[in-house]
Amino acid sequence: MIDVKGVVHRYAGQRAPALAGIDLHVRRGSLFGLLGPNGSGKTTLISILTGILRANSGEVRIDGRSLPQDARSIQRMCSLVPQENAFYPTLTVGENLRFFAGAQEIPSAVIAQRLAESLLITGLENATGIRANRLSGGMKRRLSIAIGLLNHPQLLLLDEPTVGIDPQSRQFLLEAIKKINANGTTVVYCSHYLEEVEFLCDEIAILDHGRVLRQGTLAELTAESRGLALPVPVRTAGLQELFFHLTKTELRDMLL
Amino acid sequence: MRVLTTLVLKEFLLLKRDWHALALLFVMPAFFILLMSLAMRDVFATGRTSTNTFRYYLVNEDTTGFATSIANALGTHAVFQATTQGSAEIRRREILNGSAQFEVVIPLGFTRSLPDSVPLRISVVSGAGVSPPVNELFRASVREAVTSVYLRARVAALNPALSAGGGDFLQMAKVNALLNEETLYESAQLSRRPTSVQQNVPAWLVFAMFFVALPLSTTWLQERNQGSLTKLRSIGLSPVLLLAGKLLPYLLVNMVQVLLMLVIGVWVVPVFGGDALTLGHSPLGLAVIALATGTASVSYGLLIANLVSTTEQATIATGATNLLLGALGGVMVPRSIMPEALQHVSMLSPMSWGLEGFLDILLREGGVRTIAPKAVMLVCFALVSLTLAGFRLQRARTF
Repeated sequence: MIDVKGVVHRYAGQRAPALAGIDLHVRRGSLFGLLGPNGSGKTTLISILTGILRANSGEVRIDGRSLPQDARSIQRMCSLVPQENAFYPTLTVGENLRFFAGAQEIPSAVIAQRLAESLLITGLENATGIRANRLSGGMKRRLSIAIGLLNHPQLLLLDEPTVGIDPQSRQFLLEAIKKINANGTTVVYCSHYLEEVEFLCDEIAILDHGRVLRQGTLAELTAESRGLALPVPVRTAGLQELFFHLTKTELRDMLL
Repeated sequence: MRVLTTLVLKEFLLLKRDWHALALLFVMPAFFILLMSLAMRDVFATGRTSTNTFRYYLVNEDTTGFATSIANALGTHAVFQATTQGSAEIRRREILNGSAQFEVVIPLGFTRSLPDSVPLRISVVSGAGVSPPVNELFRASVREAVTSVYLRARVAALNPALSAGGGDFLQMAKVNALLNEETLYESAQLSRRPTSVQQNVPAWLVFAMFFVALPLSTTWLQERNQGSLTKLRSIGLSPVLLLAGKLLPYLLVNMVQVLLMLVIGVWVVPVFGGDALTLGHSPLGLAVIALATGTASVSYGLLIANLVSTTEQATIATGATNLLLGALGGVMVPRSIMPEALQHVSMLSPMSWGLEGFLDILLREGGVRTIAPKAVMLVCFALVSLTLAGFRLQRARTF
């Protein structure tokens, strides 16, 4: 579904590149985990995959189409759920959904059906008339995802979708994401929460300093972690060991 | 087109939900127009009243006919009102505290000393708070009165036969007939003079139009910080479309402001005793300058929104620059009374282009051709602002 080869991107005025030659392959139907500390390049990569940013060099193909040449058709089949609550707080749930449906030029005849589907999968059927600023943290995240599902995306890019929500909402969201993937949507899941990635994803890439340090299935990566000399003690064996082994433990304070 | 309509409708819905900010855009200029039009009514009025006259003490210690003639000649000025009673101490105190502005003392023996090589002098004292133009006007009036009386006396001394018949033997009354005083208007209809409302409605209207930058930049930054703009960019909406989605609804807000402020000028100000606003003779010219000013103000707001990072910065940047552009552009102080150098500098402010355009229509009775250069400058300013805003948006790290 996604083929990224040698992608380099450097922001104006920055000495170090945000992406320093990324290679990545995400197969169709996968639930793909993208792991990395702050400043590792995850957000820049997603910006490039959604056509918001243009890579300085390298090749990006999604479903056989190239970016930036085929950006418009790629954007129609993809959907991004940003880390923030990407909607209008003073509009109701229904008004937000109808606005984003209109902005994506979803045919009027199917808007009602798309709204109903998105509300059902995110459990917001009874909240359509409520203003978004009155929703709980978990409901807000679900609304963001409902907006992301309106165009029936073939590729769903989720950026930290569970930040700041209660355990129940988090569990509901993770189950919903599994359902979305089971329905055939390829999902790229960016998170700092390693246990979420372990729970959800069938394939994982670990990024740092603008490079893919490892990519493989969960089984492959956890197998590699066995016997590693770790910089910090960890409770259980698995992805966490490998993550710290590759990215080390230094703080990643960064300025935006 | 459907996407643009969706963006515009969303914006109206957001404005409707934030009606407090919207109301401010209409209440603030309405209040200023009413207040300033009424407060400055007398300054612009044709017939001056007691509120804009200046008091002076006239002390005639020389009781001869000559000194009395000077005192009488000074007393003919409607702007300056003479007070003849008051001790030296009272006069000094009132001039210092501003309740009187001038003192003229014709000393005892003044007439008798005129043939002397060094005659006595008439004392003219001004208060420190009197503005230089008023001060100069008063001194010129005193000089005019003294000259007139002195000239009459000298001619009478040279040719007593002339003065024997009495009356205005020098025919000084003819002097006024030698002058033809006019106010220049764009059209041939010269009958109307500017009123306070004609000065204040366009000034505060333009100021308010540029103030849409404040709510506009704030909502834009909220959208950016909440990730809505990121989402909209990720579904392929171009910067041009996103900017147009803001420009059109706020331009409509600007047009409603124009209509409302004109209504206030025409119908509400007279209710409170002010003059009614006259709208000139070119509705098309009025529409063109209103649209050009609106486009410039909204584009300026979009530029600010894309240059700053936080709503706090947006509030400070729009507030401070609007005040600066307003002060420079002749909103607070009419350009006509600025020093010449400052008048040139004020032409750098787009508010000045908008204001002068409105004044061309409402005050100088101009038409589309008159305001065309200002409208073109405003549209160019809008295009430059939008281009810079679009460039910033294109390059922004939106998440």
